[in-house]
Amino acid sequence: MERLASVIIVIGTILWFISILFLEGSWQWQMFAALILTIGIFTAHFWEELSEGKNKKTPKDDN
Amino acid sequence: MARERISQADEWQAWAQRYDIEGGVRTFESGLTVKVFFGALFVGLLMMPGSIYLSYVSGQSGAAAAPWVAVILFTELARRSFTTARRQELYMLLSLTGAAVGSGMQYRSFIWYAYFVNTPQAISYEIADKIPAWVVPAGDSVAIAERSLLHPDWLLPIGVYLITKFLGTLRFISGQYILFRLTADLERLPYPMAPITAQGATALAETTGKQETWRWQVFSIGSMAGLIWGFIYIGVPALTGVMMSQPIQILKIPWIDFTQSIEGFAPTGVFALRTDFSQMLIGFVLPFPVVMSEFVTAMFSQFILNPQILYRYEILHQWHPGLDVRATGLFNGLDFYRSYDMGKNFSLGLVGMAASIPMIFKLRSSQKKAGERGSLATPPNRGDFPLWLMGILWLIGMGGFVWLIHWMVPNFPLSFLLGFAFLYTPINSYITARTFGVLGRDLFEIPYLHEITFILSRYEEIDIWFAPLPDEDYGAGTQGWRVLELTGTTFTSNLAATLLIMPILIISGILVQHFIWQIAPIPSAQYPFVQMMWPINATHECLMKTSLRDGSSEMLQALRGDYVAAGFTSSLAIYGLLWVFKYPSMWFYGIIGGIGADPGSMVARLLGAVIGRFYMIKRFGLKRWFMFNPVLAAGFACGVGLIGMGTVAIALVSKAVIVKPF
Repeated sequence: MERLASVIIVIGTILWFISILFLEGSWQWQMFAALILTIGIFTAHFWEELSEGKNKKTPKDDN
Repeated sequence: MARERISQADEWQAWAQRYDIEGGVRTFESGLTVKVFFGALFVGLLMMPGSIYLSYVSGQSGAAAAPWVAVILFTELARRSFTTARRQELYMLLSLTGAAVGSGMQYRSFIWYAYFVNTPQAISYEIADKIPAWVVPAGDSVAIAERSLLHPDWLLPIGVYLITKFLGTLRFISGQYILFRLTADLERLPYPMAPITAQGATALAETTGKQETWRWQVFSIGSMAGLIWGFIYIGVPALTGVMMSQPIQILKIPWIDFTQSIEGFAPTGVFALRTDFSQMLIGFVLPFPVVMSEFVTAMFSQFILNPQILYRYEILHQWHPGLDVRATGLFNGLDFYRSYDMGKNFSLGLVGMAASIPMIFKLRSSQKKAGERGSLATPPNRGDFPLWLMGILWLIGMGGFVWLIHWMVPNFPLSFLLGFAFLYTPINSYITARTFGVLGRDLFEIPYLHEITFILSRYEEIDIWFAPLPDEDYGAGTQGWRVLELTGTTFTSNLAATLLIMPILIISGILVQHFIWQIAPIPSAQYPFVQMMWPINATHECLMKTSLRDGSSEMLQALRGDYVAAGFTSSLAIYGLLWVFKYPSMWFYGIIGGIGADPGSMVARLLGAVIGRFYMIKRFGLKRWFMFNPVLAAGFACGVGLIGMGTVAIALVSKAVIVKPF
């Protein structure tokens, strides 16, 4: 699930770069990229919160 | 070595725990006593004039110092009387003094509109003669010419304000309380940042005991630093302003503008060094990754993104050589950043929901295991109110408010007001209460909500821009109730204190504001901060208020869908990539805050963060340094406030009695 979320986010980011560089920054394409990124981010957080502490780490005190 | 993944909730909770060094209190006592009430009133009213004056001179009111002065006086009196001050009393003192000092600022908008109505901007944008009478008297009114708030022409604006204030008190107390019961009692959200505020009240309470602790020492160091800085930054301009027409500023207030110096190699970039080095204290307190990433991103924005990309591709096209930081910022905003920021803000809302919705699921599952949540039962002696009573009070407050707005703007569709009042406000408040309960901060905001509403309503009159709308947010205020709980202060005593002090502050606030306006025109050379900022603010306000006129305003033209989409999507991409590469989510908030911002405004904060991170933590240790921070900041604010109040008092007195023959 973590890998899936990462892949979705990377695809969304690449699509956004394509929309800026090759599609004249069309807002429709940008929003499509945003939709993919949104799915990726929600997937990431659901995996993070609902994985029952399997991946839980305590942040180190490095400020 | 691969980075370890840390969930956002754990990351933020870990930061909150650094400040949480006091255990919660579960025995409740009243904080309201006669000595607390009159002590707060005395110190508050004594410092209120200086606070208002400072806000016009330097842009900062220094109001943060007043509560600490009250607490120091109170604790010293207690020590010399061989008695002790209770934590509840000190928290109440902090709260009441803060309210008393801040009460003068509630009339600041009257001074602003008295200035705005006669500005060339308001006249050229054809707004000046359309400002409603319930906002400010007409531009040619004697009340404005004589700079008097006690003139009968102000009756309607002040009357409307007072009714709004009364109804607002009903709504906010009841709304916040209901949400607090839902989130803190029923759902048992942790409110991670509340202990920080609670700790402030207890920092000095123990000085009235038999042994002094480190807190008093740290507070004194902060106070001395504040006194020195306050004299340089506030004292010298205020005192020389008494004797000279142009006050001496050792450090130029509010900034030293280098924008024209960098335009050769960074056209459209801005760099104005903010001279308020008390920002270093904020740098001490804020998380280091946020401050650092914000500064680096701001530098990137102004020296690479703006000149090399946005200017080169003519996205920033209105700029021309010779502009200062304000004009460059205005044109950059119109060309690109207003649209981009709108998208950026939407992304913050979405990221907040993405982080908080899974947390709700997580909390629900942990509730079943622990069996601690799901009950509205209250702790004994907390001083709670019946929920039905609070519900009725909120309905009365909101119903009256909607009626008042309908009276102000009778042709604006009532359905929009009702939708805001009874649909948007409860939902928005609940979301914010939840984010405060889990993360200790607000994450959800719909940008340009009013503008969108006005477009949808097809209402074209200018008066709606001056009317308040019932789109409110009680979520942030729920944290205050949690602080009351942590300090063991009964809710009833807090409510009684608020209601008792309010009428006194309403009257004294208007008198003090009137007196300060009488001393010199605002803005003028006597008030350098407002003289610098208010003209540009007037331009911004004109742009905003005419943005929907004829459907072809500069503001509307400034909003471009592709730039909004760029702000939204790029922010999501930044957030997503940080997650993929396992970087802390705090970097995201720093980066987002830094895009398009002026790095010069962050130098002092960065300095504080670097000193804290690389010297103070090594010197004192992480935990001790984070214990020192709030107390040091409070001491510094106290020192600045004291010197500010002292010099301002001299200036006020001399200006009141010296008549200049020229």
